[in-house]
Amino acid sequence: MTESSTHLEVRSLTKSFYGVRAIDSVDFDLRGGEIHGLLGENGAGKSTLCSVLSGLYRPDTGTVSIDGETVDFRSPLDAAQAGVGMVYQHFRLVDSFTVAENIVLGLSRDQRPRSMRDVEAMVGDLAEEYGLHVDPTAPIWQLSVGEQQRVEILKQLFRKARILILDEPTAVLAPQETDRLFEAVSTMVDKGQAVVLVSHKMAETMAYTDRITVLRHGLNAGSVSTADTTPAEVARMMFGDSDAAERKQAGAANRPAGDSVLELNDVSVRGDKGLTAVDGVALTVRRGEVVGVAGVAGNGQRELQEAIAGLRPLAQGRVVVSGVDCSSGGASARMAAGLAYVPEDRLGVGLAPGLPLEHNVALKSFDRAPHAKRGLLSWSAIEATARRLVDAFDVRGNRRGMRVSLMSGGNLQKAILARELDEVHDVLLAAAPTRGLDMAAAEAVRAHIVDERDHDRGVLVFSEDLDEVIRMSDVVVVMFKGRIVGRFPRDEIDVDRIGLLMTGSTEPKHATTTVAESDDDDATNDTLDLTPNGEPNDQVRAS
Amino acid sequence: MGRLRVTPRGFAGPVVRFGVPFAALVVALLIGAALLAVSGSDPIEAYRTMFDASLNGWTPLTRTLALATPLILTGLAAAIAFQMRVYNIGGEGQLYLGAIAASWVGLMLPPDTPMVVMLSSMVAFGALAGAAWALLAAIPKALFNADEIITTLMLNFVALSLMNYLIFGSQSFWRDPQRTVPGGKRLPESAIMPELSGRLHFGFVIAIVCAVGLWWVLRRTTWGFQIRTIGDSPSSARYAGMSVRMKTITVLAISGALAAIAGVSEVSGVSKGLEPNSLATDIGFTGIIVAVVARSNPLGVVPVAAFLAAIATSGSRLQGIGIEVEVVFLLQGLIFLTVTAGEFFVMNKVEVVAAEATDASNESGTELAGAT
Repeated sequence: MTESSTHLEVRSLTKSFYGVRAIDSVDFDLRGGEIHGLLGENGAGKSTLCSVLSGLYRPDTGTVSIDGETVDFRSPLDAAQAGVGMVYQHFRLVDSFTVAENIVLGLSRDQRPRSMRDVEAMVGDLAEEYGLHVDPTAPIWQLSVGEQQRVEILKQLFRKARILILDEPTAVLAPQETDRLFEAVSTMVDKGQAVVLVSHKMAETMAYTDRITVLRHGLNAGSVSTADTTPAEVARMMFGDSDAAERKQAGAANRPAGDSVLELNDVSVRGDKGLTAVDGVALTVRRGEVVGVAGVAGNGQRELQEAIAGLRPLAQGRVVVSGVDCSSGGASARMAAGLAYVPEDRLGVGLAPGLPLEHNVALKSFDRAPHAKRGLLSWSAIEATARRLVDAFDVRGNRRGMRVSLMSGGNLQKAILARELDEVHDVLLAAAPTRGLDMAAAEAVRAHIVDERDHDRGVLVFSEDLDEVIRMSDVVVVMFKGRIVGRFPRDEIDVDRIGLLMTGSTEPKHATTTVAESDDDDATNDTLDLTPNGEPNDQVRAS
Repeated sequence: MGRLRVTPRGFAGPVVRFGVPFAALVVALLIGAALLAVSGSDPIEAYRTMFDASLNGWTPLTRTLALATPLILTGLAAAIAFQMRVYNIGGEGQLYLGAIAASWVGLMLPPDTPMVVMLSSMVAFGALAGAAWALLAAIPKALFNADEIITTLMLNFVALSLMNYLIFGSQSFWRDPQRTVPGGKRLPESAIMPELSGRLHFGFVIAIVCAVGLWWVLRRTTWGFQIRTIGDSPSSARYAGMSVRMKTITVLAISGALAAIAGVSEVSGVSKGLEPNSLATDIGFTGIIVAVVARSNPLGVVPVAAFLAAIATSGSRLQGIGIEVEVVFLLQGLIFLTVTAGEFFVMNKVEVVAAEATDASNESGTELAGAT
């Protein structure tokens, strides 16, 4: 095998789930000695492609060949034997086992040395060779996230992987750890191995890859050599150079926006691990206006939604719903002030999955007339409400007493919308409202959201689908690393710039930070000062 | 040859809901019969003896229901906690606390106190004591998320030691100084549950009222609505603005109170004094089995408790025909296994389909390959 030989060839690969094409006739080439960036929006098909390459899924049609030989992986074990290894974003390690034990876990007796001491020695040598320093005898639970990632990579190297797929490897790393990771990665490609880097971050992709392939809606939107392209071009491949003028018409607001119904004032929120996830966000939603938040998942959107809804405490700042300061109250305070909320997680948050639709329809209004009087439920009233909403929102597939988890995604979403919009409210917070829905259901959901605006209420919608955000919103804001990094009124929407901001390429100095750690003071300034056509463009050139 | 196709059932009709557990019961009895036959006993004779001893006739029936009374209550105690996915394993200890508190009330109040006043104070105090005992686990759970399985379980041993100390280890208020073998003071007549028939006492009525009441509260009140929501999905409950923490505390307290009422009923209707040996018979633990088999349905608890009690009462009679009492525990265990396994068939529809028909991997059901 020469260093420049093509390692892996993918030809017209297609894989569907329930009739939806996750990837569609995708071609993809990976050569030994290169770092190949794989970019795309959420749901663009990156994970599906990687899962096929690593043997987790079998393609419907199309071929994968390695060094000219067609391969048919029936399991990740087959892929490993052919030299393809994947490091998932969420590690597959046994906490109570040592590093060495984890590395040989799953190998058969002939594939590993007899004694653990030999394994430890081999792991130590590998670690030395690639600069992936970690103590082979340490149990996993004692290691930092960065060290655990090294164990995952060592595991693949131990299995002699020639092709390594890294799924968003920097999402969990601190800046110094990121640098060390890429040092190890460049050692690998120097030895002729090939690395696929799945990423959402423009800066690191531009900085570290040799070539870039962009997936968009399951199709290959193009493969380019990193040296010959610009962040702007890549962003256009990711998000499309859409006809902005046409889209703006789709939901044009005819009147000026009214009073503020939702006001976020310098809001900071901590994530699940205690790190700052939302950093000084300021945002206002007015009556008769849809504000759309664009951003790649994992940039603090979920934490911000939960904070607005009262499910996550504020670290600082204020949340004002219809003029009522709810900062210290919980979910019920926000509901009382007039916030309707369609959460990202339909089953499990928005709906209690094991209970019937009637129960779920009354989830928030069970203790009020007509559903209850003096603590006693009126099931006939609750069932009447359920029937009314089922008719009004065209919720299908329900049978009396059936647990809602058996209904389809579109109907679940309509049921949640029905319940939320039936409450008295001034502002609707909708998170990923059309994710996973088929076209008809998605269209129906969007129609309900736009209708809210036409009824002079405010809407704040979060979506990973940029097209959708632009289509529905009167104002688009961009969220990156817990901050609002751009605000675009309808007339000034610039898809290319939004795409760049979403991938963080206008912020080269922060490019490798995972969590916004800078001082809080300039956080709010970002939101206020950033003019749509100002200097950020120049910064792109600079990077 | 064929394959099994498993599809989740949206809604189980009454035929499935009652038919499957009944079939499970039959399967358990058949396996039990096979084991009896293997060990050299006549299964038909054994089952016939058991039936005669527990269900055949008024006297055996009252004996069974008397034994079922505390099981219904500890079963309800476990059921309400399980409804909210809080695992109260401390029914045993809460029962002892109920017995200790109730016998204290019975011995403290003047013997000529009217029975209604006497018994209701005993129930009230017993329930309070059990609730307080459960709170020892509930509050750490609500505040620090301390695992209630461990805390409630451990508190059982503390309660048992306390009760043993009061009777065997000290000259306490409860202990009868006249008796040479340590035992509790006998309760006055006014503190003893009125007899319904044979061994069956008023405690059975209390147990039935509790079962119906609990079912009604869960189904018809806004409080029950919240409990069921939290039990299904705590995140949905929080999303809807419900206070999960407060409900955890209340539910554990109610659970403790119900288990304690079983202790009140036993001390007042059966042992008629604080007798550790007759109280510490795993009634609290058996209640957990009752609740699981009854799928935490308060109304289901009653027949399940009665059935387990029927098997238990027939134990002594089995010895008469040369069969070991352990058979009783064997059958209880088998029923527990088959009924919980049967739950799978209540939740899912299992069909045998032709092998060719199910090739598509995108089928909504999970397929289990294999011959049938």
